[in-house]
Order: sequence, then structure tokens, then C-alpha cells
Amino acid sequence: MSKNPDAATHDEHRPNVALYVKVFAALMALTLITVAISKIHLPPAQAVSLGLFVALIKAALVAALFMHLWGENKLIHKALWVTVGLGAALILPIIDFVLISGQHTSRADVANQHPPGHAEPATEGH
Amino acid sequence: MSQTYDPAAIMNNPDTHSGVTNAKLGVWLFLASEIMLFATLFTSYIVLRMASTSWPWGWDVLNVPLATVNTVVLIGSSMTIVMAYARAYDKDKGGFQKWMAATILLSLAFLVIKGFEYGPKFAAGIGPHTSVFYAIYFTMTGLHAIHIVGGIAVNAGLLYMSTVDGHWKNPLFLGRVEGAGLYWHFVDIVWIFLFPALYLL
Repeated sequence: MSKNPDAATHDEHRPNVALYVKVFAALMALTLITVAISKIHLPPAQAVSLGLFVALIKAALVAALFMHLWGENKLIHKALWVTVGLGAALILPIIDFVLISGQHTSRADVANQHPPGHAEPATEGH
Repeated sequence: MSQTYDPAAIMNNPDTHSGVTNAKLGVWLFLASEIMLFATLFTSYIVLRMASTSWPWGWDVLNVPLATVNTVVLIGSSMTIVMAYARAYDKDKGGFQKWMAATILLSLAFLVIKGFEYGPKFAAGIGPHTSVFYAIYFTMTGLHAIHIVGGIAVNAGLLYMSTVDGHWKNPLFLGRVEGAGLYWHFVDIVWIFLFPALYLL
């Protein structure tokens, strides 16, 4: 708890315009890199990984410097870590699905599971 | 027994045993709930994409140049709103109004460009019903656009309030600008992930 009422009442962050301009320039450059990555036809896994990595850097720049999370109060950090944990709990279980989905939903696999001439009986409507 | 009630003292009261004002803590908790909302949608996107036997490449079916321009516009608006905050911090009313007006104009430009993107799709009979890809595309970009509209309303409200001395000189005003800025940067971050996920990869 802050003991300095004046500092605590004005807990807004002191702006740093020179830093904001640098962040803006970096975000523009990273946007161009993102578009370039999509044009060089990397294998899908590499393209997605690289594209999302660049997006993560951009998001981190906005959050840390435009939103002043860098140097923000610990309580805000704790609330966001809880959110990140809950978000991870939402997304991590599907990693298994992502890893196996290619084997079960490829065209060849679907064809194997449903060979011609072995059509399942149509479900009757109600 | 009468008691004096000072909303500024309550809202700006840092005594949450942490030094954070109630207003800022409230904005961050709201953003935390928004993170969960969009995380759910991104999870759905991953599941739908991975389970699909085919998935179109954004360059083939979407207008990537327009979306790239929109990315630049939205990042530009993040810059202008942080400049508006800097001007409000320095009690420069004219500067604040100039940068906040620029933020609103860029936000409106984003929606107009989005309209140019949606228009030909709807004209061609393409909508959320067309395919799984378009269902997730319209859901995510549409929800994001609704957030843009909400941000414009808040920012326009702050621009108006800055013209009223009672609001401009209110000790709460800077915190309100900071809260609006936090929301706007969050909307920018969502787009930073939407753009490559839907349009590029």
C-alpha cells in the first residue's frame, strides 16, 4: 500500500513521447514483416509459428509500453497472470487435438474411414 | 446526519491496499474478461481450422491489402490516443482534443475500410452461412468491429467532456483518458492477432 497519498492519487503513468514514437515505428516495421512472411510461402507450420511470434512481439510492445504494463502496479500484474493461466487452461488441452487432427481429418484418412461402397445408412429425419 | 460525498475521492482513492485506483483496477478486470472472450474465439478458430479438411488461404479469398491498410490505421490510432493521454497529462486541452479527434477519425476510417471489405462479400452472397471459414471470419472481425464502435463512443464522450471546464478540470479526467486508452490498445492487440490468423496464414 502506498504511503504517499499524492503519488498514489495520481497513479497515472508519466508519458514518454519519444518512446511512443519508437514503438509506433517498430509496430509498423513488424506489420510489414508479418505481411512479407505470408508471401514467401513457407511450410504452413513454420509460417504460422513465425507469424504468431511476430504478432506476440507486437502485442508485447503495445501492452508493455503503450498500456504501461512495464512498471505497472503488482496487483494488475497478478490479475493478468491469473487471466493468462485461465486462458492457457482453455487453450492447452486442444494441443493434443491439434497434434492428432492432421492424422484423422486428412482427405486420405477420411477416405479410409469412409470407403466407397460402404456408405453408412442415412439417418432418418423426424 | 449528513455526510459529504466526493466521487473523485472515492474513484481516485488508491486505498485498495495496492496503490491502484479503483477505476484503473476496474478497467483491467474488464479487460481480463475480454481476454477470456477472445481466447474462447481463438480456441474455436484453432479447433475448426485443424479439424477442417481444407482451409482457404487468406490471400485467395480476402482483401489482404485493405486489411493491411486497416492494420496501419489501427496502430496509428493507438499512437494518437497515447499522444492524447500525454497531452491530457500536461493539461494541454487543445493538444488533447487534436489527438483524440485524430483517434476518432482513424477509428471511423477503420470501419469504413471494413465496410469496403464486407460489401463485395455480401454483394456476392457470401456470409457467415457460406462456410466454416467465413463463419469464424465474420464472427471474429464482426465482434472486433463492435468493440471499435464502443471505443469510438467512449472516445467521443471524452472529447466532448474536454470542452466542458467542469469535466476537464476534474481530477478524474486523466484517469478516464487512461482507461479509454487501455481499452483502445486492447482492441488494437486483438487485431494484431486477428490479422495474421485470418488474412495471412
